Amino acid sequence: MKKHIYKILFLTTPFLFSCGKDFLDKKPIIGVTSDNFYKTEEDAIAAINAAYAALQFELSPAGHFRWFWGDIMSDDSEKGGSGDNDVVELYQLEHFQGPVNTDLLDAEWNADYEGIYRANVVLEKVPSIEMDEALKARILAEAKFIRAWFYYNLNTMFGGTPLVDKVLAPSEYNLPRADAATIWAFIEKDLQEAIIDLPLKSQYSQKDLGRITKGAARSLLAKAFLYQRKYADALVQTQEVIHSGEYSLVPDYGTIFTQAGENNSESVFEIQYMNASGGNWGKNAANEGTFTNVFTRARGQFAGYGFNIPTQDFVDEFFKEGFEDPRLKYTVFRLGDQMGDRGIFTLANAGDVGYIYHPRKYFSNLSEDAPFGDPNPNGGSNDRVIRYSDVLLMDAEAAFQTGNEDAARASVNIVRKRVNIAEVTASGQQLIDAIYHERRVELGLEGHHFFDLVRTGRAAKELGPLGFKEGINEVFPIPNSQIVLSNGVLKQNPGY
Amino acid sequence: MPYSKNTITSTLLAFILMIFCYSMEAQTVSGRVTSSESNEPLVGASIRIQNTNQGTVTDADGTYVLSGVQPGDSLIYSYIGCIEVRLSYQGQSQLNIQLSSDDRLLDEMIVVGYGSQKRSSITGAVSMIKSDEITSTPALRIEQALQGRMAGVQVSQSSGAPGAPLTVRIRGTGTINNSDPLYIVDGVPVGGLDFLNPSDIESVNVLKDAASAAIYGARGSNGVVLIKTFNGKRNQEGIVQYNAYYGIQNAWKKPRLLNAREYAILSNEAHIAAGAAPLPEFANPDALGEGTDWVSAIMQSAPIYDHQLSISGGSEKSTYVISGNYFNQEGIIGGKKATFDRITARINTTHQVKKWLLLGNTLNYTWLNRDGITDNSEFNSPLIRALNIDPVTPIRKANGTFAYSPYTDTDIANPVNAIEQTFDSWTTNRVVGSVFAEAELFKGLKARSTYSIDNTFANQRRFYPKFDLSVDPVLSDAPATEKNLVNSVGFNANKWSNWQWENTLTYIFTIGKDHHLNALAGTSALLNRHYYNGGANTNLPSNKWEDAYISNTIDPIASQSSYEGADESALNSYFGRINYDFKDTYFFTATMRADGSSRFGANNRWGYFPSFSGSWIFTNDGLLDNWLALGKLRLSWGQNGNDNIGNYGYTSVISSGQNYVFGPGEVITNGSVALGASNPDLKWETSTQTNIGLDLDLLSGRMQVITDYFVKKTSNMLYAIPVLSTSGTAAPVQNIASAINKGWELAAYLKSRPTSALQYNIGGNLTFIHNEVTDLGTGGEPINTGRIQSANSTVARTDVGHPLASFYGYVTDGIFQTQDEVANHAFQSEGTSPGDIRFKDLNQDGVIDVNDRTYIGNPIPKITYGLSGNAAYRGFDLSLFWQGTYGNDIYNGSVRYDFTYVNRPQSALERWTGPGTSNTQPRVSLNDPNQNARVSDRFVEDGSYLRLKNIQLGYTLPSKLMQKVAIRELRLYISAQNLLTFTGYSGMDPEIGVVGSPLELGIDKGFYPQSRIWMAGVNLKF
Repeated sequence: MKKHIYKILFLTTPFLFSCGKDFLDKKPIIGVTSDNFYKTEEDAIAAINAAYAALQFELSPAGHFRWFWGDIMSDDSEKGGSGDNDVVELYQLEHFQGPVNTDLLDAEWNADYEGIYRANVVLEKVPSIEMDEALKARILAEAKFIRAWFYYNLNTMFGGTPLVDKVLAPSEYNLPRADAATIWAFIEKDLQEAIIDLPLKSQYSQKDLGRITKGAARSLLAKAFLYQRKYADALVQTQEVIHSGEYSLVPDYGTIFTQAGENNSESVFEIQYMNASGGNWGKNAANEGTFTNVFTRARGQFAGYGFNIPTQDFVDEFFKEGFEDPRLKYTVFRLGDQMGDRGIFTLANAGDVGYIYHPRKYFSNLSEDAPFGDPNPNGGSNDRVIRYSDVLLMDAEAAFQTGNEDAARASVNIVRKRVNIAEVTASGQQLIDAIYHERRVELGLEGHHFFDLVRTGRAAKELGPLGFKEGINEVFPIPNSQIVLSNGVLKQNPGY
Repeated sequence: MPYSKNTITSTLLAFILMIFCYSMEAQTVSGRVTSSESNEPLVGASIRIQNTNQGTVTDADGTYVLSGVQPGDSLIYSYIGCIEVRLSYQGQSQLNIQLSSDDRLLDEMIVVGYGSQKRSSITGAVSMIKSDEITSTPALRIEQALQGRMAGVQVSQSSGAPGAPLTVRIRGTGTINNSDPLYIVDGVPVGGLDFLNPSDIESVNVLKDAASAAIYGARGSNGVVLIKTFNGKRNQEGIVQYNAYYGIQNAWKKPRLLNAREYAILSNEAHIAAGAAPLPEFANPDALGEGTDWVSAIMQSAPIYDHQLSISGGSEKSTYVISGNYFNQEGIIGGKKATFDRITARINTTHQVKKWLLLGNTLNYTWLNRDGITDNSEFNSPLIRALNIDPVTPIRKANGTFAYSPYTDTDIANPVNAIEQTFDSWTTNRVVGSVFAEAELFKGLKARSTYSIDNTFANQRRFYPKFDLSVDPVLSDAPATEKNLVNSVGFNANKWSNWQWENTLTYIFTIGKDHHLNALAGTSALLNRHYYNGGANTNLPSNKWEDAYISNTIDPIASQSSYEGADESALNSYFGRINYDFKDTYFFTATMRADGSSRFGANNRWGYFPSFSGSWIFTNDGLLDNWLALGKLRLSWGQNGNDNIGNYGYTSVISSGQNYVFGPGEVITNGSVALGASNPDLKWETSTQTNIGLDLDLLSGRMQVITDYFVKKTSNMLYAIPVLSTSGTAAPVQNIASAINKGWELAAYLKSRPTSALQYNIGGNLTFIHNEVTDLGTGGEPINTGRIQSANSTVARTDVGHPLASFYGYVTDGIFQTQDEVANHAFQSEGTSPGDIRFKDLNQDGVIDVNDRTYIGNPIPKITYGLSGNAAYRGFDLSLFWQGTYGNDIYNGSVRYDFTYVNRPQSALERWTGPGTSNTQPRVSLNDPNQNARVSDRFVEDGSYLRLKNIQLGYTLPSKLMQKVAIRELRLYISAQNLLTFTGYSGMDPEIGVVGSPLELGIDKGFYPQSRIWMAGVNLKF
């Protein structure tokens, strides 16, 4: 019988340890789930910060820098690098032989929609959080600006893309393209709404320096209107910015693109970067630094990749008025120039790749290199997206186009006066040409020129010799990978 | 292998003895029972008098004494694994009996889920290989030993790099999700088999049909591989075995690429075609000569060797095996930088503690070290670089330092230097073990409880040294991939700790005389936990691998990155099975398993998986014909699941660290967002499979034919479909698709008569599989996968009505010979010129665009097959093993056509240079405006191959001679692996398994080829 007791114990013991109900209920150990997030004010701030983080995307994983599209695609600069084959697709794009299947455009498209998603998450989740209502309104307005910014990029680059105005369910991903006008209307609506709740620059506390302001939203809205040639609407916005009293040009043009010049009094919209986050290559690799510094620095002892090489045509623009425009030396390095603390620019020092010019605005000194980690992905220069002088020149253009030449001259002359050059007195076509000249010189190599040429209808004339074809190259091809994934729901732009 | 059969049958012996001794009274008989093969005593063999309880067993010398025997009684001599001998007692006082081992195929014991069955009673589709087949080819990993050995089991290399995993597919690629089978080693579910020493394995059984695998429920849909390791035998003196081999590996094929002269000629043409000036240094191509042979520069002979020692045996109540193994293989690419080292140690024991209680354990410890060079990457593997770097650039500069290519940039760096600069080492310590107790509660009822663990500790250390191939380091003229100015160190640690507790009750009973039943009920709980951490930092002063520790770096702690995390999954299950047979003729099995998995949302937490199967031995009616010893018909139906998705897929996790910088002090401020989308309705995928099979034993059991036809339907397939960027997130896992696999399997085996001096056997198997996607869920949109950089596009498409991951692209239609032909054809691109490829305008809309693509190839073989032959004669043995596929295509993406200035295969010399010069090879052009490199049938090649995987010649020294030096067996052999390969494929190896995503099949992105190995070995037993 004793034996049987052991046997019975043997049989029953395992069944005494039955599994608890929560044995199968495994929640993620790392990270919170969406259900448990978006409950507090801190969550709301973290959500909007993640949308800001998307502004920093520029290598995702292929490069899609603003200066790729705004400068290299224009006649202001050439690709550069170690030769034509160094990022050959960029070479092809700048000669308007654009392959439809390049990583570079994939990356731009991807990053824009990831930013839109992050803004949409904020707009969907934050309203139901119990928190300070004023802060909530501000966060929602910041999200609308960020969403509008990414649509602005998409619409100017590709001309009408799928309109995603909420967090999509998997069954909703495959959207056809909306036309450009629909997207413009959406951008305008987002910005108009954002303007209501965004604080003025001066209303933010110091710790929030870098957040989107009312002035930034108005300026981006002005840009959107100008792109559509809605000059009167643009003028309303530029005037609001000018009369807000929030912005003024710094006296010394040469300080704008220094570390000290970051977030200065003429900074309207600036994407923030720092050199000491220790992050690594890749868009979500906890990186708060920019790659622009290393990409645009000269090769050789300057330890850069030598991209974005200013053209002779661009340099000549600075001599158009019969003297050397004082802004040239802060925009372009010429042979013999001292390149900060990195040495003198000679062909030999710069790796013998034969470039006689290098861009200066995003040059960083050796002393400003990342204090730790890989310096290449950790450039510290903020991306000056909209400066006050851009607003003034947009104002001048809008005023001119709405028939107010005096106001146009006044605004353009504020910009000229800062660098102590003679006031513009011209009128008619000469005046608008002067405004265009001023934009090219004042805002050179800041990622504007290609889009300025396209929106003002000058692209075919200026870029035709480089291969630009009217009616085709105003926009880039839709990334082929997306067309393939959509099984043809997305239609390619004409001519590609 | 049964080549050593040379025996007088026991019945004959008994008959002779019978004549000499004859008496009528109750008597006592004694004698010795020995093995007919080895003449060794069989200890514990049983001798019974039929229809009585009288009987005895042999002692340690194999002798027995049995009293109370009457002439005319029927004596039954039996021993595990041997053919029973029955004889009529004729009054002898001494009866010496020889038993021969039972290798009649239908009486093999087959391991099934939670038990084993005689092959004759199997109702499903199960394949088995045993240790002699596993070790007949020196197998580096156990999966290799399965290759080509079983119908319906396809095994292919996912890389030829030492230690690389293999792709195992049972009855085709069942799902677009993870199609890896479930591996159960001695009852322990394990992820991956790299820890096993192939020599430790007694048998591998593969449960192929759903009915057999249904007992594994939610994990069984890709088939189940049951591996049983050796144990000692009771009452057996210890046997010491030492096996070793040493081999040399070499490339079996080298690609033919352009030499420097040819490269320069094409470069000049490409420049001119693009309107650019040819490079001045290529003005006289002849002066450049042969240039550098980069592929030879990265390939070398590499050693491979193995030492294996095992001791096994048993006492009256216990058995044991202790084994140890050391294996080392270097790579034919990368050499020591691609070394795989393995040490294993195993202890298996069983103990009959009480008459009713059996205890036992298995314990395996493995240490692995794998030094990895990048393989199968079209971006930065040494092979892709060697295939693509220009032949003009020398390996080293005049001063002896490595050179970089001024022509190729970005990805295509100097591969010899890249290997030199690679330091990437994986070290794994793994313990897999189990303890079990089995109690016979009363006759026929057994309870068994097994607790097992699988603990893996894996570390990866990486070091990126500082180097600079610049001609002038001050100028740092080398491109980005040819220099690394700041060195860095990284470390990752992973710990997988899994435990499982399973309890089963088995009851074997008989109703009446003819109704045999075997009932099983069980529970199982399984927990998997993965813990990981790691870190990295930059700037190591010494620039040496030996010093590459994060704590040796001098950059501030603030720059160190570190991470730590964990995830878990759990499975809780209840299962049952009833086996019933009537008169050993009609068999029926029903199983049911309920699985609860933590990987699914609460709504879909439990899944239920039933199966039914039956078989009929139609030769049991006494019509035992000589040519048909046994015939059996099998029929089965069942359902399985697949839970091979990541943990927590049903929910979306908020990722922090999506930071931004605010404030004048540049403060990093946290941002958080879900980077992936959630799917709360997630559930397992289900496969339903019907199987019909026929087993025939012919020629008195010397020949066996097994054939099966199956239809396997998989529905609710789990997959994270690549999603459009409009999602803004990574793709969520969804239950979206269905597919069907239909197939026919045939295995046949023939062996020589046991008495013949020349022993031989021939075996072969053949599998036909047709795979087709039947549904792609909501929207029904095709899934595009298999991106290749040379076309910057996806190559494969999974769509309804086509095999999984079929190649999809443009159809070429020769080369434009004249401008007229360009003008008269559909518009391809602005820059299309004579010499460019003409693509077919399939939709006839006058424009060549994405709508003109179609299915251009199928990576899944129509037929896979294996063929083995063994022969033995007077101590010599010879074996050959062939294996192959038929009807599969390979997409050759190993040339980086996206770089128009990289090297090319020799076939590029056949390029178009003017009307009529070529209709297959397009002109060369620096900018390829026509996109000749787009995904098209130009790159699709027939991937069929037939390979002599192994040929081996052995010699066993005469046992009489060896016995003098107390050696049981000594065998020497030489062998060659991958000696011959017949294929039309132009790349370096046609045998390409799954690389990366499960929907990337047969795409060659610079595949690390398998080597040809010459080896010599010794088997010693004493």
